[in-house]
Amino acid sequence: MTFVLFDFSFYLCPKEIHGMKLIGENLNIMSSKYGKALKEKDAKPLQELAIQHEEAGMDWIDLNIGPAGKTGEELMSWLVPVIHEVVDLPLALDTSNVKAIQAGLKAHKKGRPLINSIMVRPERMDALLPVARDHDADFVALLWGPEGMPRDENERGALCSEIVHKAMSEYGIAPERIFVDPIQTPVNVQQQQIMSVLEFMKMFQDIAPGCLSTVGLSNVSNGPPEHLRSILNQVMVVLLRHYGLHSAIVDCFDKDLHRVARGERPDIEALVLKVEGGETLDTASLSKDEAAYVKTARVILGHTLYSDSWLEV
Amino acid sequence: MTFQPSKQVYSGKIREITLGAGERALQIGGRSGYAFHSFESEITHPPRVAMEVWDKDPSQDWSEAAKAPFKDVLHDPAAWARKCVDEYGAEIIVVQTKSSDPNGDDKPASEVSDVVKKVAEAVQVPVVVWGVANHDKDTEVMREVAEKCSDQRVAISPVEEGDYKQIGAACLGYKHVVVSSSPIDVNLAKQLNILLENLGVSSSDIVIDPTTGGLGYGLEYTYSVMERIQQAALTQEDDKLQQPIIANVGNEVWKSKEANLSVEEAPHLGDSSQRGVIMEAITAVDLLLAGADVVILRHPDTVKLVKDYIQKMQ
Repeated sequence: MTFVLFDFSFYLCPKEIHGMKLIGENLNIMSSKYGKALKEKDAKPLQELAIQHEEAGMDWIDLNIGPAGKTGEELMSWLVPVIHEVVDLPLALDTSNVKAIQAGLKAHKKGRPLINSIMVRPERMDALLPVARDHDADFVALLWGPEGMPRDENERGALCSEIVHKAMSEYGIAPERIFVDPIQTPVNVQQQQIMSVLEFMKMFQDIAPGCLSTVGLSNVSNGPPEHLRSILNQVMVVLLRHYGLHSAIVDCFDKDLHRVARGERPDIEALVLKVEGGETLDTASLSKDEAAYVKTARVILGHTLYSDSWLEV
Repeated sequence: MTFQPSKQVYSGKIREITLGAGERALQIGGRSGYAFHSFESEITHPPRVAMEVWDKDPSQDWSEAAKAPFKDVLHDPAAWARKCVDEYGAEIIVVQTKSSDPNGDDKPASEVSDVVKKVAEAVQVPVVVWGVANHDKDTEVMREVAEKCSDQRVAISPVEEGDYKQIGAACLGYKHVVVSSSPIDVNLAKQLNILLENLGVSSSDIVIDPTTGGLGYGLEYTYSVMERIQQAALTQEDDKLQQPIIANVGNEVWKSKEANLSVEEAPHLGDSSQRGVIMEAITAVDLLLAGADVVILRHPDTVKLVKDYIQKMQ
């Protein structure tokens, strides 16, 4: 049995076997608890959360302050040192507010900051690529173009080439500073876009050699019932990891997910990748847990149509 | 080498559902392929054309073009229904319980259901009862309708996520057909059918209403969702979506501004006596192509056009 498992997982990961890097997403203006703390500049709950991110083994903490209008600059200047008072992790500056990003970069003294994100729109690239270069920061290249979300893998490829080319040739930014984000969509409304992301990931290293990649993973389960989000996130991360995804923005409290993302669950991987490879599996002969992973892989891959009760049918 | 047209491989089949009971029973669905694909699949029953009847006089709301064919009967739903069947060839009658609308006349459930019963007794074709999509009011009305029409196997619509337990239970109790209605979303259509089956409603008693958008008002969304339902049902063996589809066309098309503007108001939009009919016919034909098994129409000229189309497509 050990032999079979070992042999199989080796076969399934022909590329470099890697544990993904994780960006914790919970410090978010949309959260009732932490949103309130951000608005009131109440450091304690935010610092406690930062420590929890570190304990969960996150590689970055995402600081999502929203667009934050006029107060963004001041908020980010305050927040970065507050978080760095208690943890040494690098921070992802998550806002569309250019001034807030600049303020965050200035205040960021521990490790290399991550700008989250720069869209593939001329005005965003012109404003933020020089900032990324000047601070030698990492940045998320969000494949969101002038016409919104790309419709398929080819549009993703075109947007990816555009921003990577511009960053490297016009600004001399190294490919390993660029985290391309092909945009994760929810399985319950945009399953076909998930296929397009996977197709894009197959081409990614040819389009942008040396560049890194990331997604906002939790969006795959944005909409489905709360208690079923983790299994969707886990299966999605298996598929993305299989196609070489470097990192993901994730729920820092979902330990099961972290184990899968780090490659510590070859059993789940094997099941999901069997479905992906087109093997027909009889769910009746599997354990309840195994069947759940198989059914989830089927809805994510579009073999069966998603419904909120997908695990029961 | 001779030309070989590519053939779609089908692995599923739309269930046959019986509307109405006894002599008026009519079967819909039963297809093992996409709409009108008789060259590669079996079409057990052609699509059916239903006509709508309001349970209140619609004179104030309707344009001249819509009123003209029914001038003598608009005040009498039973006579109106008879006219649809006898003169205009309706295969199914749909009673729109507009008078129950809490934002309108707000007639009590007992009165509304009496009118439904009268209409149902006046014709010898299956009856669909279409509510106002207000969960509380539809629940009240449909409970009484279910009881008063207990031997007729009517179809009750719309049954939505917010009232499926109440109305579904009434249908279950009196052996009526549930029209499972979801807001232009294939995943939600599937989910509601799962919930209905969990409640005990048999798959032989479910028809899908994916919500109709008329021409210019979301027709393409409805088309895509119907198409997706058909693909899942016929090529992905999606057991929960192998139900016939009904589309409430007339009601949607005729409430649009464009269907009702007079020539004076909109000289660039052409003949107002024809415009609504053409909009209705285009919407109906599109949805038949997408996979609708029943289209509900308002105007007899549309009925003629659409029936002629169905005939030619066979």
